[in-house]
Amino acid sequence: MTRTPRGSGVLWLGALVVIALALPLVVTSRFYTDIFIRVLLFAFIGVAWNLMGGYAKQLSLGHAAYFGLGAYTSTILQIKFGVSPWIGMFAGGGVAMLASLPIGAVCFRLRGPYFAISTIAMAQVLMLLFLKFRDFAWGAEGTTIPNLGNSPLMMQFDAKAAYYYIALALLAAALAITWWIERSWMGYYLVAVGEDEDAAAAIGVNVPKIKRHIYLISAFLTALAGTFYIQYIYFIDPNTAFSFNISVEAALVSIVGGIGTLWGPVLGTVLLEVTSALLQSWLGSGLGGVQLTVYALILMGVILWRPTGLIGVLTDAYDRLVNAGPAPAREASLDG
Amino acid sequence: MADALVVRNLSKRFGGLQAVQDFSFSVAENETIALIGPNGAGKTTCFNLITGYHRPDAGSSVVAFGRELVGLRPHDICAYGLARTFQVARPFGKMTVLANVMTGAFLRDRKVDVAREKAREAIDFVGLTARSHTPAHDLTTIDQRRLEMARALATEPRILLLDEVMAGLNPAEIDQAVALVGKLSTRGLTIVIIEHVMRAILAVARHIVVLDHGQKIAEGNPQDVVANVDVIRAYLGTGYVNLPIPGDRPC
Repeated sequence: MTRTPRGSGVLWLGALVVIALALPLVVTSRFYTDIFIRVLLFAFIGVAWNLMGGYAKQLSLGHAAYFGLGAYTSTILQIKFGVSPWIGMFAGGGVAMLASLPIGAVCFRLRGPYFAISTIAMAQVLMLLFLKFRDFAWGAEGTTIPNLGNSPLMMQFDAKAAYYYIALALLAAALAITWWIERSWMGYYLVAVGEDEDAAAAIGVNVPKIKRHIYLISAFLTALAGTFYIQYIYFIDPNTAFSFNISVEAALVSIVGGIGTLWGPVLGTVLLEVTSALLQSWLGSGLGGVQLTVYALILMGVILWRPTGLIGVLTDAYDRLVNAGPAPAREASLDG
Repeated sequence: MADALVVRNLSKRFGGLQAVQDFSFSVAENETIALIGPNGAGKTTCFNLITGYHRPDAGSSVVAFGRELVGLRPHDICAYGLARTFQVARPFGKMTVLANVMTGAFLRDRKVDVAREKAREAIDFVGLTARSHTPAHDLTTIDQRRLEMARALATEPRILLLDEVMAGLNPAEIDQAVALVGKLSTRGLTIVIIEHVMRAILAVARHIVVLDHGQKIAEGNPQDVVANVDVIRAYLGTGYVNLPIPGDRPC
């Protein structure tokens, strides 16, 4: 039901892909490449969060749990057993999926803000556990990842562009999964659960089951991001891996960009991460807190003026320009 | 005709309140019965007990087409062919009408094309075709009720529990709703309807069950029930003389 003809959508997507692929070839500055990598990574986490938090409205603030489990699983496998992070990445995804079952069993008993609080608690508990795990996880000190030079098989590269392409591939995969889910019965069920759990159950939606399934997928993807991030910064400790900021960021980029939409988290990340990174570098440490203030202002502005997120602003503007008519409500267009 | 739904000794106590007590009734296949009674009599609680939203107390039994439903969860009960609507319509507001109904249709077939076809049919049936692409939260009250019915129909139920589908409608809309319930019945559905609009009840139901303080105080054909002294005292009021009264009640 989008008014945009199919052809123009493909065209836009094609242009975006070309730009994304060419970017590291054009912009070679390590500083900007670093920003791009962070944008892609957080967009990826946002997309993973959005599957559950956006479509099914299960506002988790504890996705750091899976980020951390992914990071620790691959790092432990790599340092103690010499397993490549490429394998460790998916092992971490598996661990995160397993962990999501008991965590979901506890947290999904609660609804709304209580659910959010319980997920925070779960992530914090995991962080505290890893602070104590000195024998097999280096406790509070953390550890550095041994630098093997350029070693693609161990996910280590000299060129920053390599990390860029990995993050891009992750994001593309997450977007493809979301795109597919959005169009299948599962997308309808998720939105129905997000709108009204009781009404969904009345028409045969197995609410606990669908929540469990989407949590598995979301946890798996978030864990991949954890592995990648640790490989990128060459360091791990519980405060980094289970950082509350990760959980908040995952939710915020989706909320700012457009919750429960395919491109919302990407848009939100581009705005928030780029602004915050640029402000930080321009202002330096002299005016500490300014970038956080701007960050907060953006957030307040979006929530006040556009509670459905920036994606709504963009599609409205696009429709006005291209179709010269009022835009159909995008979030209401889920009717295949 | 065989009984579609048999409820025996249905009881539920919430703390100190006996919401429903030893309530029994049965509905024959393709019959429409009405459940009436004053506010707080336990009518909606009955629906919640039958459809698995509350767990009935020990000793209760709800059998649909020979299958015991007590202990099953709402989505399982829906899968066995028992669909319900809610007293206050609960559409998925952000979705369009079509998407709402498709969500119901996915219960029987997970393929999007099939669900869309089935949904179109159900939307046609309730007369909401012109609103197919309207977000549900933009619908009028009667259209929301229509949507609830279409969504329930899309799950291909054999028994339909309608909870006050006519509350808040104006007289003309009530006529439309009555016609729709009649149409559902000709489609072969077994219907239990909770309603306050006496005019509508008398038009659709040939059997009425009256509930007061969680207990059945009368049941029978409409003429007898309306003349029943207990029913007049508990519910209809002594001023209830001859039909019809515009018994619409603000929602």
